[in-house]
Amino acid sequence: MPRANKRRWGLWIAAAAGYAFLYVPLAIVVAYSFNNSRLNAEWVGFTLDWYDKLFHNQDMIAAAGNSLLIALTASLVSTVLGTAAGVAMYRYPSKLLSVLVLTPIAIPEILMGVSLLIFFVLLNFTLGLVSVALAHIAFCIGFVAIVVRVRLAGMDESLTEAARDCGASPWNTFRYITLPLIMPGVIAGALMAFTLSIDDFVITFFTAGAGTVTLPLQIYSMIKIAVTPEVNAVSSLLMLLTLALIIIASRVSPTLFRSEQEAVS
Amino acid sequence: MDPVPRRRAERLGRWLVSGPPLLYLVVFFAIPSLIMVLASFRTPGEFGGLAPLVEEGKLDLNLDSYARFFSEAIYAEIFLKSVWYALLTTLFCLALAYPLASLIARSSKRYRDLLLLLVILPFWSNFLIRVYAWMIILGPNAALARSVNGLLGLFGHEPVPLLFSSFAVLICLVYVHLPFMVLPLYANLEKHDLALLDAAQDLGANAWQRFWRITFPLSLPGVYAGAVLVFIPALGIFAIPDILGGPEDSLIGNVIKQQFLETRDWPFGSVLSIVLTVAALALAGLAAWVARRRLGTPSSSREAARA
Amino acid sequence: MKKLVWLLAASLLAAPAFAKDEFHLYNWNNYIAPETIKRFEDFCKCEVVQTYYSDNEELLAKLAAGAKGYDMLVPTANAVEALIKGNQLKPLDKSQLPNLKNINPIYMNTSFDPGNKYSVPYAMSTTIIGYNDVKMKELGLPTDTWAVIFDPKYLEKVKGRVTVLDSANELFAAALKYLGYSANDVDPKHWDEAVAVIKKARPYWAAFNASSYIKELTVGNIWLVHGYSNDIFQANLDAQAAKRSFHILQGMPKEGAVLAVDNMVIHKDAPRPDLALKFMNFMLEGKNSSELTNLIGSGNPNLDAVKYIKPDILKNPAIFPDKTVEAKLEQLKELTAAQRRLRNKLWTEIKAGR
Repeated sequence: MPRANKRRWGLWIAAAAGYAFLYVPLAIVVAYSFNNSRLNAEWVGFTLDWYDKLFHNQDMIAAAGNSLLIALTASLVSTVLGTAAGVAMYRYPSKLLSVLVLTPIAIPEILMGVSLLIFFVLLNFTLGLVSVALAHIAFCIGFVAIVVRVRLAGMDESLTEAARDCGASPWNTFRYITLPLIMPGVIAGALMAFTLSIDDFVITFFTAGAGTVTLPLQIYSMIKIAVTPEVNAVSSLLMLLTLALIIIASRVSPTLFRSEQEAVS
Repeated sequence: MDPVPRRRAERLGRWLVSGPPLLYLVVFFAIPSLIMVLASFRTPGEFGGLAPLVEEGKLDLNLDSYARFFSEAIYAEIFLKSVWYALLTTLFCLALAYPLASLIARSSKRYRDLLLLLVILPFWSNFLIRVYAWMIILGPNAALARSVNGLLGLFGHEPVPLLFSSFAVLICLVYVHLPFMVLPLYANLEKHDLALLDAAQDLGANAWQRFWRITFPLSLPGVYAGAVLVFIPALGIFAIPDILGGPEDSLIGNVIKQQFLETRDWPFGSVLSIVLTVAALALAGLAAWVARRRLGTPSSSREAARA
Repeated sequence: MKKLVWLLAASLLAAPAFAKDEFHLYNWNNYIAPETIKRFEDFCKCEVVQTYYSDNEELLAKLAAGAKGYDMLVPTANAVEALIKGNQLKPLDKSQLPNLKNINPIYMNTSFDPGNKYSVPYAMSTTIIGYNDVKMKELGLPTDTWAVIFDPKYLEKVKGRVTVLDSANELFAAALKYLGYSANDVDPKHWDEAVAVIKKARPYWAAFNASSYIKELTVGNIWLVHGYSNDIFQANLDAQAAKRSFHILQGMPKEGAVLAVDNMVIHKDAPRPDLALKFMNFMLEGKNSSELTNLIGSGNPNLDAVKYIKPDILKNPAIFPDKTVEAKLEQLKELTAAQRRLRNKLWTEIKAGR
């Protein structure tokens, strides 16, 4: 264990402040899901009514399900494509790829939403869950690619060269050497993609079909009347569910979550 | 393996790796965007949308919308204000994210994944209610506002609204973008070889020197990636000023949104978006160039040790 | 892992496969009572699929870009005008709408849809003043004039406790009414006067807000708003439910206000226009129409609905204005592209603090 341990109390305090900053609003979100008031404005009293209402609200549950489905699909595909893009940007850098990867991050969502809608209509592509997923993948790829690229920057080439000299094919080199090394970057990218997709409103609004409702679409439509604690309830449950899914996934395939040290040993 | 098949394998590998993402982005991003780039040269429809491209056999393309952008200073003004807000957001995010990412990167394997998940967990709740939570925290009758104004009152200062102000907008901007700074930083910091820091300590370097001369330069790719993933999206944001901004906190994202909605002037909206995108990419490129020239990123732990 | 991918793909693509008789309603959120939907589903033996928007302009933008699949939309009058002129609507087959006679004739045959070829009135609201009755009494402020929102001599007392709508059209209309002009006045000189009035009042306003002002009003952080009558009605219900010491009341300005009539229309590419007409006729029945009014306090253009509406809502002059007030209410008309551009430039300056 590194000796720098003893001086780390400064780091601990700063990090704790960071976590506090992240969690105070979240604590309010969860607490207010039990608030006995229609408005998300002031604490009135404790109730489980909103969870009860939520379980009887078919529309909200369906919307949450759609959001989860789209987010899982979009993060899966964009992680694969984004990792490929990140590796390509590192090993075979090209201006075209860099621009194509970075621009979806820069372009205002409303422009991208309208342009994708026009594009789908031109192709006579029926709008629905698929069109939303395709749109989400397009803007998530860049986030994954950049994080994977960060991970690759300064990677020790000697390992991959050694593998190649031993006769390993490029795919095997990637699978057994490179991938474990960049895995923290891939996971970070996947987490970002999932987060972006599950909460997207603008692009989803324009690319959703006539019967497609995702959770953000449902919630934002309530913005002018009242965003009731039912929304807090569904958000809290969704967070728990996603956390549970990830923990299960990490138990089922522990190899995914190994770090560099373990891979090399 | 002899050279010729190896080269062919290389080229095949190149197409297999860069091909799919390139193809996807060309089809589902570049082509739709070109539609809107073309739209920036067209005229808005009288009741919304765009006027027909071909009017009586003539192509209806003009530079009117571009001329409008460059002739009225207000848009550049708002744009600069947005750059300023995005810059502040990036700096504060960096300050908050660095300790978080360092802690996670240095934690033992058992806790590392959990700590990382804990950073991103809040962001799987809906954006709107997180902003509403901030409205509760910053409300005039809540503890924070009361203590701040109480303190100001001691100095004879008028009470200051925390909600519906630039302060509220900034705090929310930082909050919403924080994980996008933490994750890239973590991805970079995680591979730092701590033995290097130990060696430096043995040679007499204190904590600050260890950080500034070893850790920070090595983390620059992560810092840069995080800055890009925060600054660029923050430039285009509109929801936060809409919900808790003051009467003068309108940003360029709000103006762009208005063009597509209330004003129904899609060509002008496209022009503003194109300017925003080009400026964002240019700033990112500039920052990368500056980082490379002035700070000279060492590309691995070994090089840093040599320094 | 592979199995997961196939499962995801299957779920994404399977969704449209289970369509039965579906009626796609694109509406504002909470703009129809759940009981009404249920009753209609039993009546037509079909499924009502609702999607929502929260702004006319969102609806217009999506349709302008070519979105299809919606049967019925519920746009406000000026948006109806835009849709008609943009050839987005299907003409109505009046023979299927025997209940049309229930609508109050003063809301029929409007300038934007003469003869009601495309639209049928659904519900209405006005854009008025909402206020905290205790605070207004304490400060001695009037609540029946736009001056309380625009005049610095009143605003001084409520600095930082007032919000106005984040809508160029609504705020300009209010300012024009305050100055004594029509809300639909398009004279650029009058617009400049309105801008001056707004800029003078701006330092006293807490925010331009169309989304969270009701919450703040109910909690007591904000004391005075420029807002929609439905929202203010709801705010009062919430305030009473939270046992607050004050009421949120509606103030109808004597200079007049904007009336927003939302209409049922059928999209030109509607997959099931027959179901849409059935729904329209169903909603033109007094009982069905009254349920929304009883739920959210919206105005009701249906004469047959009067006998089903709760008495205290009927008595409310902001929801059911009498003849003198009615004369001062105006529906907003569409602007030309050039006018919209000018208004947006002025609005951008206002919101940038210039």
